[in-house]
Amino acid sequence: MNSLLIGCTGRSRLPARAWLATLTALLALACAPSLAAQELADRWGPNAPASANGGRVDSLFWLITTMISVSFLIVLVMLIVPVLRDRARPGHKAHYDEGSSLHDKRFTAIVSVIVFLVLDASVLVMTMKDLREVVWNIPNVEKGAYQVEVLAQQWAWNFRVTGEDGKFGTPDDIVTINTLTLPMDRPAVFNVTSKDVIHSFFVPDMRVKRDANPGAINQVWFKPVVAGSYDILCAELCGYAHYQMHGTVNVLPAEAFKAWEKEAGALALTAYDSNDPEALWAWEWKE
Amino acid sequence: MSGDHIHAEPTGFLRKHVFSVDHKVIARQFMWFGLVWLLVGGIMAMMIRWQLAHPGSPVPLIGKLLYPRGDGSVPPDGYNTLFTMHGTIMIFLGLTPLLIGAFGNFCIPLMIGARDMIFPLLNMLSFWTVVLGGLVGFYSLFVPLGAAEGGWTAYPTLSSTIGTPGSGETLWAIAVFLIGASSIMGGINYITTIVRLRAPGMTWSKLPLTIWGMFFTAILNVLFLPVIGSAMILMVLDRSFGTSFYVPATLNQSGGGDPILYQHLFWIFGHPEVYILILPAWGIISDLLSFFARKPAFAYKVTVGAMGAVTVLSAVVYGHHMFTTGMTAMLGESFMLLTMIISVPGEILFFNWLHTLWRGNLRFTTPMLFSMGVIFVFGLGGLTGIYLATISTDIYLHDTYFVVGHFHLTMAASSLFGAFAATYFWFPKMFGKMMSEKLGKLHFWATIIPLTIVFCTMFISGYAGMPRRYYNHTDVDYLRSLQHLNVITSVAAFFLGGAQLIFAFNFIKSRWWGSKASVNPWEVGTLEWTIPSPPPHHNYDTIPTVVTGPHEYSHPALKDRDWISQSEQLPT
Amino acid sequence: MSDLALPLPTESRRARVDATFGMVLFIGSWSMAFATLFLTFLVLRHRQPVWPPEGVVLPSLPLAGLATAVLLASSALLHSAVKRLRAGQPGFAGRWALGLGAGLAFAALQSWLWIDVWEAGGRPDTDMYQGLFYMLTWFHALHVVCGLIALGFIQAGALTGRINAGRATPASSVAIFWHFVDAVWLVLFVSFFAL
Repeated sequence: MNSLLIGCTGRSRLPARAWLATLTALLALACAPSLAAQELADRWGPNAPASANGGRVDSLFWLITTMISVSFLIVLVMLIVPVLRDRARPGHKAHYDEGSSLHDKRFTAIVSVIVFLVLDASVLVMTMKDLREVVWNIPNVEKGAYQVEVLAQQWAWNFRVTGEDGKFGTPDDIVTINTLTLPMDRPAVFNVTSKDVIHSFFVPDMRVKRDANPGAINQVWFKPVVAGSYDILCAELCGYAHYQMHGTVNVLPAEAFKAWEKEAGALALTAYDSNDPEALWAWEWKE
Repeated sequence: MSGDHIHAEPTGFLRKHVFSVDHKVIARQFMWFGLVWLLVGGIMAMMIRWQLAHPGSPVPLIGKLLYPRGDGSVPPDGYNTLFTMHGTIMIFLGLTPLLIGAFGNFCIPLMIGARDMIFPLLNMLSFWTVVLGGLVGFYSLFVPLGAAEGGWTAYPTLSSTIGTPGSGETLWAIAVFLIGASSIMGGINYITTIVRLRAPGMTWSKLPLTIWGMFFTAILNVLFLPVIGSAMILMVLDRSFGTSFYVPATLNQSGGGDPILYQHLFWIFGHPEVYILILPAWGIISDLLSFFARKPAFAYKVTVGAMGAVTVLSAVVYGHHMFTTGMTAMLGESFMLLTMIISVPGEILFFNWLHTLWRGNLRFTTPMLFSMGVIFVFGLGGLTGIYLATISTDIYLHDTYFVVGHFHLTMAASSLFGAFAATYFWFPKMFGKMMSEKLGKLHFWATIIPLTIVFCTMFISGYAGMPRRYYNHTDVDYLRSLQHLNVITSVAAFFLGGAQLIFAFNFIKSRWWGSKASVNPWEVGTLEWTIPSPPPHHNYDTIPTVVTGPHEYSHPALKDRDWISQSEQLPT
Repeated sequence: MSDLALPLPTESRRARVDATFGMVLFIGSWSMAFATLFLTFLVLRHRQPVWPPEGVVLPSLPLAGLATAVLLASSALLHSAVKRLRAGQPGFAGRWALGLGAGLAFAALQSWLWIDVWEAGGRPDTDMYQGLFYMLTWFHALHVVCGLIALGFIQAGALTGRINAGRATPASSVAIFWHFVDAVWLVLFVSFFAL
């Protein structure tokens, strides 16, 4: 074991086999914390993603976890080996090494390049893919997007959907507070803004979050693929009852959703009151 | 000015101990000031953790005293005040005075071989300005309508009169402005002193790394504290004079302002602030690891370069705090890339520290333990930063406990460990007494174990989706299952808080009843260890001439000992 | 700054460089504060569809122009005063006094500018234009006041002889600060009247 660990210095000329063995051992060891983390996540972690692309966030998360576990393990080993091996004792002398030789410089450069290529570049590439395909790639109505206007306020979520006419600001708009109903397997696109302070529209099970800024409209989307109820939380401090500002997303299969839409639309028409200024919020959809 | 002249030591009590211009006295003042505020901020942290473990139940011992109107439990607005002031106090009044104020002031003149700071009066003014800032901040806790409740980031429009009508938030902004002004004065003094007052022979490549860390920090202070100062001025105008720089047109008829503008200004300052706190700690432990490994600091110049690179990069990555605000794709991706690049100098620093230890002759003194603790803690915190630099994962993790765990490990725990290492190391020089090593080691282990548990469990609850700044997360169904985890975090936090009593006891006992320190108890070579402990008023009878680097340990030419002072010539 | 309180009989070249270094560093640092405010100005200005917005009270251009000229003159006077002091030529105190007088005149013109706008109904909370105008001029005026106090101290020093050819750095440092105040005003003037 000791000879393997000395191999980490990159100083002693060990055969390639020893290097390989060291690397394998490290990888095996790295799997331990990663596995432990998986185990913890199963117990304490979030629910399985309920959106089409939520899994990408999770896999990116575990990619990073694995890589930083390896990195941290290397750090730990390089910390523990001197602690065990090099403690001060009579007759023992430190090895005088300023680390300014060409060999050291080359070693530093190589490690830096490896860190950048392995750690950063791989994460960057995967993230860019996710960003281009999902996060920035917001579907429009032609692509079947279901549009929702979200008006956050202290301390509630107001939701508005168009009803059957597909237009916002008309009497058949379905307006709800803290409860949102979405069709399954159809991308839901949100226009998010706020009435007063900054809030943040956070649906943990869909792995999305977007700030609701007063005076500006932000866009966010996800595609629910599992029917069920999910929590909506506010993730930006918004005052006294910040912690109570939560709501529910109900994801319904296509038929059930149609039935709901019909019923709610009819209800909206009867409940419509053109004299109620509070209920007349709406804005032109912002792509 | 004060470099070449020996000023007589003042004799009056006020000029000697209160309004002193002596950098060593000011350093001790900063130290006591910072420690007292760390205690206040620490008690607030304990109350926050109590509330999270037992939502809505009375705080033991002090609850009735602080919240006499209710049953002694923390109310929701009181909770918001707690975490707002905890953050503000720890950053601006605890760590900054302790790490930069105390050790910057103490170490810079002594380590570069000067008699004092270059502008002693400005130095005194810097201390009294931060005291004034602290008083304003403290007073804000008692005004009607409550203290600041907008978080330490104080985003408008929550921090505008719309969200917080009371004068507490205004006073908070004034306090931050004053503290910023103090840091700017300090920064100007540090830079000018380091550039102008180095002893003969103290070239840039012979400068101890502690001084390099302070130098980079001072640069960031001087450049970016004015930005937060201006942001605070705009906030005060908005709150007190009815302007609307941060208030959008939808909320105010004179509007047209932009709340996101504040976020930009805040983080242009706020991200460098993280490095303002960590760079001195990096510098200090780079030195201490070498001192106690009895080996030269590995690749000194590369370490300096890496710290410089971090200093430069820190100014251009702030956007990663704002990925969820709806920034454009181009901007977001640029900030992500730049943030990722920081991992390269960060990794180089780690390798240099670890290489410094490798094949050394390690003396496990308390400062050494805390320095190695920084490697461990900053390793955990720095690596978890990758999740938050990556937009996809950051969107999910933003404003959850994951972020809380991350920044506590990096800017809080690492700088605090650096400050502890520095305290144990320079205490003999500062006060002329030794601190108890036994209690010091106990303090280290009693700190690092619960600390790791506290912040690692936060990673788990954050990944589970627990948002930060929630008064009572059990209000949300799916967060209720995290209650056990929160209890674990809180219990560990109480142990962590309790462990600091060991430090307080050790500090006070050693200060007055400790054994006398010799000139050079650690057997190290930097200049301050060539003069008595504590140093005389004018530091050096004759300004030393520097001929040797700061880290020439175990040099083969040294026969009977393994260290050499910077003012001694290496034998040939 | 500190040299006001720690008088030394004569100053070395080293001390002069030290003080100037510190002053320039301070100005470099504090420009960031002004840069932030001007950035705010630019960002918020571009939010407005037209600039200056319709119907706002505009500060008087001739008055502001006159103030600019006066401030520039005071900077020039201080500059020549310091040059004379360093060269050991007479006329420092007189020129400095003229510079101080011009500074005071600027302060008066600035107050006039405010009264003008105020009486026409321009308040910090009426619209964004006034908000930005008051914000920048107030913050600048704060520096004018500090500068005038410092100029006054140097004037007193010149009259009592504490400021002399052998000890000119306090005067040159204060002059540097005043040039900075001058430069900020120029940016402010251009921002409001030329852009």
